[in-house]
Amino acid sequence: MLVLSRKPGESVVIDGRIKVKIVRLDGDVVKLGIEAPPDIPIHRQEVYDEIQQSNRQALQSKPAAAPKLKEPKSKDSISDRQNVETAGLAA
Amino acid sequence: MSTLELTEMECMQVQTENVILMPSGLLGFEDIKRFILLTNEEEAPFSWFQVLDDPSLAFLVVPPFDAVPDYQPEISDDDIKYLGIKKPSDALMYNIVTLRSGHATVNLKGPIVINRFTLRGKQVVLQNATKYSVRHPLPLANSGEF
Repeated sequence: MLVLSRKPGESVVIDGRIKVKIVRLDGDVVKLGIEAPPDIPIHRQEVYDEIQQSNRQALQSKPAAAPKLKEPKSKDSISDRQNVETAGLAA
Repeated sequence: MSTLELTEMECMQVQTENVILMPSGLLGFEDIKRFILLTNEEEAPFSWFQVLDDPSLAFLVVPPFDAVPDYQPEISDDDIKYLGIKKPSDALMYNIVTLRSGHATVNLKGPIVINRFTLRGKQVVLQNATKYSVRHPLPLANSGEF
């Protein structure tokens, strides 16, 4: 891995078209500004990893039959589900 | 040329016209860029997001508002601009479903958004992604039967 030292306000240029600027230091948080062509997706690593893993698990190598979705009863029952799940994640 | 061959050719043409181009692929599958959406009434509201160049590969997808009525996805201005979406009705949204041992979950963090006119699509990461799970449980009627 290439490691460069930069001060706030300084930048690095990648491939002549991607600019990564150190915008601000705030305690142990570094704010980055990134300028890149719109066709270059930029993601936070942990979100990228999570969605990538989910996509890999979702890939069906031999298309199966779709399941049947239960008719949504009411808005409340759905948000209850979501709350339960959120609580589960936080625990 | 037999009638059957003609029909197949016509099918292929229809499919080619409905190819969804995902220039960045899906996260983790960046090299797969061309998909078709296969929908049949029996499997509603689900559809298959089929890899065009490999018929054995597909993702099960669902329009999120059918499955999760209170879903409020926020898409970044950059993604809206990238997809050329002028108004909400220009966009189609599908979320990827994972089937595992009788349970189904849906990824609410990273929906597939498609411009319905240009058929250009992207798996976007929502601005409010932290609010949502990549494994949101889907209520199934026939749990355990697939």
